[in-house]
Amino acid sequence: MAEYRLDCFGEACPVPLLKAQKKLADLKVGDLLIVEVDHSCAIKNVPEWARKEGHNVEIEEIGDGEWEIYIQKTK
Amino acid sequence: MKLEENKYFKTVVKDAWPYTVGAILLALFNITLLIVRGSPWGISGVLLYWGAKIYKALGGPLQNWAFYSNPANLKGVETPFFSHAGSLMILGIIIGAFFASLAASQFKIRKIKTYRQVIAAVLGGLLMGYATRVALGCNIGGFFSAVASFSLHGWVFGVFVMVGAWIGSKLLVKFFM
Amino acid sequence: METKTTVTQGVPVRAGKKRRNQLPAAIVVLLGIIIVAVILGGKSPGLAISWVIGIGFGVVLQKSRFCFAAAFRDPFLTGSTSLAKAVIIAVAIASLGFGAVQYAAVSGGGNPPGFISPVGLHTAIGAILFGIGMVIAGGCASGTLMRVGEGFTMQWLVLVFFVIGTLWGTHDYAFWKAVFFDRAPQVHLPSALGWPLSFILQFLVLGALYILADKWGNRQRN
Repeated sequence: MAEYRLDCFGEACPVPLLKAQKKLADLKVGDLLIVEVDHSCAIKNVPEWARKEGHNVEIEEIGDGEWEIYIQKTK
Repeated sequence: MKLEENKYFKTVVKDAWPYTVGAILLALFNITLLIVRGSPWGISGVLLYWGAKIYKALGGPLQNWAFYSNPANLKGVETPFFSHAGSLMILGIIIGAFFASLAASQFKIRKIKTYRQVIAAVLGGLLMGYATRVALGCNIGGFFSAVASFSLHGWVFGVFVMVGAWIGSKLLVKFFM
Repeated sequence: METKTTVTQGVPVRAGKKRRNQLPAAIVVLLGIIIVAVILGGKSPGLAISWVIGIGFGVVLQKSRFCFAAAFRDPFLTGSTSLAKAVIIAVAIASLGFGAVQYAAVSGGGNPPGFISPVGLHTAIGAILFGIGMVIAGGCASGTLMRVGEGFTMQWLVLVFFVIGTLWGTHDYAFWKAVFFDRAPQVHLPSALGWPLSFILQFLVLGALYILADKWGNRQRN
């Protein structure tokens, strides 16, 4: 299981989601993608997309208005 | 028990609300505006008032412009900021969002990271601003309030803003990512 | 940064750095909002109401992460239609209220209130330009204002140039008026088609769009 970080701080919608979609496509099943965002909309649309796709998702607030979205690829 | 762990505080103040809750409240506020002020929610017209006011203060010859040859339009610019209902509403949106993000402890100055973002902001802002004077409204006044007003131009705006969004998406992926 | 890894529902999550509590600042801002409302109320109730509704719009936009730009953009770009569906719901509810207000006004012999502007080629041109701009700028007018409040410096810049853009567009008003606005009709659908038909049409189209958006959102899942 490998771990990848995606720095999306300062990126406005929909860039974090597009970057996450692109990155996750390259990952292997079981790999973990950590998307770092500070865009409040991204913590809604990124997990929504990932859950729809059936991946495991967790959100952690790491600072004031900063989040890490953990996406574990399941298929 | 800490306030942060209170489930009502968490649901209302800390966590994001469902989109549908937002939809219902925005619609109810817009109806309220129409009833109370006789005019629904619009943004771009107010931003024009801000621009015209600043331009005039800097000595810009507004009265020579065709739009301001209409005395009613020129008079509108002279309304003081704090007597201008639309401006208070727009300022309210900014302050309201500021308050909500503070209450959730999620306010942060998000710095611009790249020059591409600067170009995107300048281009996107100019395009949107100019377009509102061509289409006579933005997503709010030209679509949301317009369609709800049963005006045909709202529907036409809706169809073509989608075309624009599609073109914009292609440009975004190609140049701004 | 010191981190430790915990496992929640199969996803390892690290404990984050210490956060500040911004709630005290929020309470100060709330007091300020109330003071401004009271002062405005002393001048004119209409101003106070505009201010309070503006605050309401800002809070709702921020809390629900509502974004008109995303509603129009995401169906193509990311395949998500949840915001598109929410916008359809908002338009449907507003239509009910606006319809009632307009019907009452017209029955009383007045003009229908609301935004009823000339419709024509300029509507299409302007909407396309607006659509391109809002996707590049990362938000439309309402989204930009909301993000200005959230502290996005990029959106501060967007707001400045949005204002300059409206000024520029107004500078060219004579051209657009002569070529487009003067020949374009204002079409208030109930005045043209009658209330029953335009009401039925409005909600049929909104309903159909909702179903379409729902199907589109599900289609992308596979």
